[in-house]
Amino acid sequence: MNTLVLLLLIFFGGGLLTYLAYKISKVVGDILIAILGLAGAYVFFTVSSQTSLTFSLGGFTLGLGFSEYSWIFGLLLSILAPLALIYSIPYMKGHDRLEWFYMLFLFVIGGMFGILMAKDWVTLFIFWEIMTWSSYLIILYSRKKGLDKIGLKYIFFSAIGAYSLLTAIVVIGGTMRTLSIAETISLFGVLPLKAQLLIGILLITGFGVKAAVMPLHVWAPDAYTNTPMSFSAIFSGAMSKMGIYGLGLVVVNMYLNHGIGSVGHWLAWFGAFTALFGTFYAVVQDDARKLLAWSSVAQLGYIVTGIGIGTKLAVFAALYLALLHGLFKGTLFMAIGAVERQAGTTKFSELRALIRKMPYTFLSALIAIIALAGIPPLAGFVGKWMLYESLITSGHYWVVIFLFFASTAGFLYSYRFLFGVFLGQEEDDYKDVKEAPALMTLPMLLLALVLIVLGTLPGFIFKPLAYSMQGLGFTDISYHMSVLTNSWGNSVSLPYISWTLATVFVLFLIVITWVNHKGTHNVSTKDIHTAGEPPSEEDNYHFALDFYKPFMRSIAPVFKYSITRIYNAIGRGIEDFFEYVRRFYTGNAQTYALYVIIFFAILLLLANQIF
Amino acid sequence: MVAVNPIYYIALPLFFAFLLPLFGKIHKELIRIVPGLLYAYFLGMSFYMLRHVFVTGQPYIVEIAGWKAPWGINLVFDAFTGLIITFISVLAFLVWLYSYRFKKVEFDNALKYFVLLMLVTAGSMGIVMTGDIFNQFVFLEITGLSSYGLTAYYRGRDGAEAAFKYLLIGSLASTFVLMGILLIYTQLGTLNMADIARNIHLMKPSLKIAAFLLLFMGFGIEAEMFPMNGWAPDAYSQAPGPIGAVFASMTSKAGLYALIRLTFTIFDFSSVSKLLFIMGLLTLLFAEGIALRQEKIKRMLAYSSIGQIGLIMVAFSFNTYLGVFAGIFLMINHALIKSLLFFSASYLAYNSPKKYIKDIQGFGKVMPITSFLFALGAFAIIGFPPFSGFWSKFYFLLAAAQKHYIVLIVLILSVSLVELVYYLRVVHKLYFAKPTGDYEPHSPNWNGMLAMILLALVIIAIGVYPDLVTHYIDKAAVMIMDKAQYIHNSLGI
Repeated sequence: MNTLVLLLLIFFGGGLLTYLAYKISKVVGDILIAILGLAGAYVFFTVSSQTSLTFSLGGFTLGLGFSEYSWIFGLLLSILAPLALIYSIPYMKGHDRLEWFYMLFLFVIGGMFGILMAKDWVTLFIFWEIMTWSSYLIILYSRKKGLDKIGLKYIFFSAIGAYSLLTAIVVIGGTMRTLSIAETISLFGVLPLKAQLLIGILLITGFGVKAAVMPLHVWAPDAYTNTPMSFSAIFSGAMSKMGIYGLGLVVVNMYLNHGIGSVGHWLAWFGAFTALFGTFYAVVQDDARKLLAWSSVAQLGYIVTGIGIGTKLAVFAALYLALLHGLFKGTLFMAIGAVERQAGTTKFSELRALIRKMPYTFLSALIAIIALAGIPPLAGFVGKWMLYESLITSGHYWVVIFLFFASTAGFLYSYRFLFGVFLGQEEDDYKDVKEAPALMTLPMLLLALVLIVLGTLPGFIFKPLAYSMQGLGFTDISYHMSVLTNSWGNSVSLPYISWTLATVFVLFLIVITWVNHKGTHNVSTKDIHTAGEPPSEEDNYHFALDFYKPFMRSIAPVFKYSITRIYNAIGRGIEDFFEYVRRFYTGNAQTYALYVIIFFAILLLLANQIF
Repeated sequence: MVAVNPIYYIALPLFFAFLLPLFGKIHKELIRIVPGLLYAYFLGMSFYMLRHVFVTGQPYIVEIAGWKAPWGINLVFDAFTGLIITFISVLAFLVWLYSYRFKKVEFDNALKYFVLLMLVTAGSMGIVMTGDIFNQFVFLEITGLSSYGLTAYYRGRDGAEAAFKYLLIGSLASTFVLMGILLIYTQLGTLNMADIARNIHLMKPSLKIAAFLLLFMGFGIEAEMFPMNGWAPDAYSQAPGPIGAVFASMTSKAGLYALIRLTFTIFDFSSVSKLLFIMGLLTLLFAEGIALRQEKIKRMLAYSSIGQIGLIMVAFSFNTYLGVFAGIFLMINHALIKSLLFFSASYLAYNSPKKYIKDIQGFGKVMPITSFLFALGAFAIIGFPPFSGFWSKFYFLLAAAQKHYIVLIVLILSVSLVELVYYLRVVHKLYFAKPTGDYEPHSPNWNGMLAMILLALVIIAIGVYPDLVTHYIDKAAVMIMDKAQYIHNSLGI
């Protein structure tokens, strides 16, 4: 059997099979999804770029097959998907309707693989929609109060995106007489500028919704927060990258390779705004899940900026960051899921000091946060290095300032996440919290390990990335296994940084142990934050409340303007309008008869104009 | 071959409808079984004949009483009418299956129901197949009268009011049609559609326009065209549950068929598609917008149904092969999906007197399968792949893009967003809200469940593998576009 079909069958057929398996027994189902996830990843790695399939459906000739460019996203998916599925087994234990959840989970993964292997727009759109409605149903899965509004918001914005895509697709079909993606790209230069702009902007809108580009992002924070965290890892980690995948196709393959750069520059600005404001919103959240969700929006902003700039290095950096964001955001969502499961809450104002209770979770979260913040020696640093260099060499100084500001503010939420959940004063409330089961910690630790390795030896991922870049028309990418260079002749040896830091760290540990060895004795942690003074009624008891009060005060004007309010106003306006229109149907038979007569009279009067 | 003949579609239901009370005297169950057997026979016959037409390319033409057309009445079962007849047969069978145990203990009421059901299907099929315009008027009357009866089926103020509205507007429709026919007959001296089509250029232009407008009005009312569709939501919501599906999939489609026949075959106006376009678009926009603000589930479905018919009109008004193709596909999908929605919604709101949407909230747990099927129908009508609704919408948009109607595409998709919101709101109500407890849910019996599941399977099957129907639609689209072929088939010239 064709491996591509096999891959789809594993997830779609496997999804249906999972439904039955969970109906039979939970254990059988658990085993099955782990096998399906791993099998999917295995089959993906056996697919070569030559594997393809052409078939005819509904009068269209459709095709499947990975391109160099889509392969890298498939790589991310096949790392993340099995780990998230395995993590999910203990995480979801005790929930009901698991058969439903996992069936949809597998459908989403299958849909994403389908998008990546689509060689024509019809196939892409079909899988795109399957992915969308499956994830929509997963949002609704837990049936908690208020989720219906969030689900509707998600599906509504997704539909705006999907319909933009669909419009672009039919315009492509109508004007270019082809629905193949490759042919669209190669013939794109022939089109008149008006058609190029129309098609491209529609496609960018369509893909931009999934990539949570402002102002189309409003669904994302709520949606990422309100699915089970095992799915959020995929939702934010991989599904948002489908939008990035599409944006790359449009901006680089269609526009830049045919000499149109301005659209990309606009997109870069949208990305920069998203990065900045997403970061602001992330800083002020009280719910750790929400913080991660907004941080995803912000991080996607960086990636979109990179794609929009469109130089070789910028795209390379964007793809690297996309891959990396999948890995560390996957880790973080898994970590917060573990916290949620073990401690029962994810609010900073309730959580505290879980470091000793959940050391492995802390460790993986720490590594992921360092990677996110872009601090050497972890992998995020490499991405930022390349992104900034590409921005400066291409002369986008204002974008650099925006991004620099955003990533500095990003430290605030990075720290808050670590501190609010894991550090601080120990309290009795969480005395009995235990580390999450091994099946949950292992996937996180594995991902953290990958992040460490990539921080020191990014060449491991540069190689497939360089291969992928060929699909976008960028050839001869030069890279080193472990040395970063820039166009000004500077170079950074990553192992040098890593080893130095590791040595300093170890030495520091030894010294501090040595110095304090004698005086060490076990003390229980006490509430000392009032420093002996009896707190008054209105004193703040929890350090995590109003954590960044001065910062929040300084950016308060930003929050005054909310795009959500505008959307709501439009929605209400439309409903009111139709409420008014509804009165046209009075319910009175005579009125209806009158309409008929009047209509006939109008037709007769206009007969000369009509015929 | 004796076993298959298009005339059976009309003769047998009329015949058995009159005999049904006698069957009832023999055994009470026969009034349920006989229509079922008939519909099963139609189902087999349609598929056989459609296959035959498809393979040989030869339509079935029947000349009644041996009089050759244009003097006699002929029935035409070609690639286009045959396809419509086939899916009317499918729906008729499923409606029968769904309502097999309808009014189980009330013999008289059940008898009335099945008699009217047989008449309404016979009328709709007659409108579609006949080649004679006066004959079409007769079938329009049969359909109308039985529909009025079905609307007033539940004796009560609301039913009577709805039926009265329908009756009033419906009789206006027949008057218009009759006047239109008179104009044509006085001018051309023939009633055969093919013959009229052949000689239409001989008519005085002003009279030709008047005749067209009269017929357009008459059939437009039956097809629920804006602004003459005020009767439709009342009729849909007052008639028994499965009849909503009948209205959506048969009577309105028959009216629509007549409109298409008028514009494509009988008259030779080149600009008439513009009229159809504008009216279709207005129908769509008004109905879908108003559906957003409905509080009763069946009224919401009714407005949605009207909106879909507007969309189909727009598709046909493109006057291109792809547009017609999309229009036919939309017709089939609309019949299938809207029937599923009406079936499941009427079980959900079975005992609720006013059928408010809030009455069915929280039923996801009480009636899981019915709720699921409703949700599936909603997904399909919104146009999510892999359900059949996606393909028809896609072909429609392709057809629009081929004509470079970008603004129209944006408009249609905005309407789709509205549609998405009001359908998913109901789905959310089903699964999120707590039951109000105002009334007892009534779980479906096996036959109703079977009918719904069969429909759902067909919707998924077409969605996954659209080639099941696209070949037939392709032939049908070619057929409707080819006026000369129709004249040749009917008159032999």
